[in-house]
Amino acid sequence: MAQEQNKPDALQQVPVIELRHIDKYFGTHHVLKDISLTVNQGEVVVIIGPSGSGKSTLCRTINRLETVDSGEIIIAGDVMPEEGKELARLRSEIGMVFQSFNLFAHKSIIDNVTIAPRDVLHRPKKEAYEEGMQLLKRVGVDNQAHKVPAQLSGGQQQRVAIARALAMHPKAILFDEPTSALDPEMIGEVLDVMTELAKEGMTMVIVTHEMNFARRVADRIIFMDGGIILEENTPEEFFTAPKTQRARDFLNSLKDRER
Amino acid sequence: MKEKDMSINALLSQYGDKYLSALLTTYELTALAFIFAVIIGIIITVMRISPIKPLRVAADFYVQVFRNIPGAALLILLVYALPYLNIVLSYYICVLIALTLIPSAFCSEYLMAGMNTISPGQIEAARSLGMTFMQMVKNVVLPQAVRSTVLQMTNLLVATMLTSALASQVPLNPTDLTGIVSYINTHAVGGVTAFMISAVLYCVTAVVIGQLGNYIDRKVRILR
Amino acid sequence: MSTANVSIRDILYEAPGPKTRRYIAVATVISLIALTALLVVIVRQFYITGQLSAKYWSIFTRYTTWRFLGRGLAGTVKVALMSSVVTFAAGLLLMLGRISRSRILRGLSTVLIEITRGIPTLLFIYFFFLLAPQFGLKLPAFWKIVLPVSISAAGVVAEVLRSGVNAVPKGQTEAAVSLGMRSGSVFFKIVFPQGFRYVIPALIAEIVIVLKDTTFAYVVNYADLMQNAKVLISNYDALLSVYLVAAVIYIIINYLLNKLSVAIAGRRKVSAVTVK
Repeated sequence: MAQEQNKPDALQQVPVIELRHIDKYFGTHHVLKDISLTVNQGEVVVIIGPSGSGKSTLCRTINRLETVDSGEIIIAGDVMPEEGKELARLRSEIGMVFQSFNLFAHKSIIDNVTIAPRDVLHRPKKEAYEEGMQLLKRVGVDNQAHKVPAQLSGGQQQRVAIARALAMHPKAILFDEPTSALDPEMIGEVLDVMTELAKEGMTMVIVTHEMNFARRVADRIIFMDGGIILEENTPEEFFTAPKTQRARDFLNSLKDRER
Repeated sequence: MKEKDMSINALLSQYGDKYLSALLTTYELTALAFIFAVIIGIIITVMRISPIKPLRVAADFYVQVFRNIPGAALLILLVYALPYLNIVLSYYICVLIALTLIPSAFCSEYLMAGMNTISPGQIEAARSLGMTFMQMVKNVVLPQAVRSTVLQMTNLLVATMLTSALASQVPLNPTDLTGIVSYINTHAVGGVTAFMISAVLYCVTAVVIGQLGNYIDRKVRILR
Repeated sequence: MSTANVSIRDILYEAPGPKTRRYIAVATVISLIALTALLVVIVRQFYITGQLSAKYWSIFTRYTTWRFLGRGLAGTVKVALMSSVVTFAAGLLLMLGRISRSRILRGLSTVLIEITRGIPTLLFIYFFFLLAPQFGLKLPAFWKIVLPVSISAAGVVAEVLRSGVNAVPKGQTEAAVSLGMRSGSVFFKIVFPQGFRYVIPALIAEIVIVLKDTTFAYVVNYADLMQNAKVLISNYDALLSVYLVAAVIYIIINYLLNKLSVAIAGRRKVSAVTVK
């Protein structure tokens, strides 16, 4: 892949996210089965799989929005505890973009972007504002800075959510089906922003159903089903010659749907 | 009828002072009770959303009791029944307590409803940005809960004022806006005029509070 | 993952870690002790003032006591039911005036709604109790309580009904008109029945307010639950226990009415989602 060449090999060996033997149950349902996964700095990992495969849960587990029953989560060398200030600190180092945007409904767009830098990172108001405006410009919604979320389209809101995550200078950003709640004509604008981020070397973990996008930006594809990682592969190999039968079935079912 | 009824002027010249103090009594009771009700309502709400089960159960019980008890029944208990437990309170305090307890339960209900308008996703977003619990409450939960309950709170203020008419059921000096109507009617023949003056004062106050509430609500309403 | 009907109680806190679990356990024990202590203080106060003595409570083992209270309750229910009917009728009229095309009717209804919403029930009661007789209007005690209670709730009901009517999608009216229905029948056959269904929970909640207001029946000497409780008290010299029982009866009835309202509202929400 083109952007892979931009990344020095040495950097790829620095792990940002490490999951070790993660197990999770919803009641009696075993949703994550002994998952281990390492995401290195600058890497773009795309998690795909049928619905109910546990891919979203895995993504949310990385910053402990989902509890785990056993296993370790390590962020840049630090073990993520179950609670307390250290948990909050490590979360602040990992950005998260949700399916339903989850912007703060009562705050203006610029306040959505600056509130956490000011309150969590204690950055001066002016500095946070200026950087916030820059980030909004980068995602193309700086002209909406003083509106409130409900006045923006879904695509715009999702781009603001990305800017909000970027404002924390995260070591990685998690995307939990970021385009699934969007009207088709708005999906492109969000994927474009994400593609830019990938090119710039942001470490990203993306859960998505957009296969073309996955093929384009991913350094690594993770295929999940039934709570286990069935296949880890380069996008080229995964999409042309998947190793497992279930991945083949999954890709075929997508093709059927497209037809 | 005409000859029995006093004119406004005659009535006001004779009872003007009493009317003024009645109005002030109603306002004072309403304001004090509302402030106490909001304070207690907040405390009860914190208990209801706390992770500590006995506090939740107790606060839920409190709310169910005081939102469902009729004001007259509560006042009668406070005035006539408490002395049997060796607790003797002045009439004024009894009215104030009744006027505080009932609205405090409704205040808590409104706050709970206001908090329930916040989507769970925003809570998760706050967490994922590294906010601690208190930061999340301060930045996300409280401002939205307060802003989405402006109309209910102004309704509650009006309701508190209307409930303050309970004061007319005990001997108070000075009495309130409802008490003075029965006072004048038993001492003289103020008739309809006395009733009208009180009615207008209540009504105007309610409308003013309502308009003020609408104005604030328009200013702070959260678009969704 | 469905997030519908999730209460703030469930999402405000994360699953507790070991430290938080310890803290919650300690706080639970402390709060249990504090609440028990409070209960003990209250019961002790009853005990040392002799209010737990059998003579105050044994009357509740007698059938006649409950029959008498039951009669009072029947009076309360009669007043509450009639008041609800009158309130609904008056509220409906006010609502129709409020949304009518005539400006005069609209203005008049708006003023009447504000008046009924801005004046205490007790003041209306005094109007019918003290003033109406001066006009030669001699009403039975039943109506002296029903009318003021109804008037004072009518404005709120009018506004509740109006909000229901407003919530009916415009398309319903357009569809009915395009079928050639006249505007009167469009409103009464299409719009109002739907709007009414939206606000049934709010109307039940209003019955609770009406029921609470009926406790003022003692002012006009109508034999309701409160009034009969008073008679019991003078017969048995058991004020605290009787009033307490009466208050609990009111609380339970209103609690059940509110439960009903919430249950209906909950069912509505579910069906509304599936329709969508």
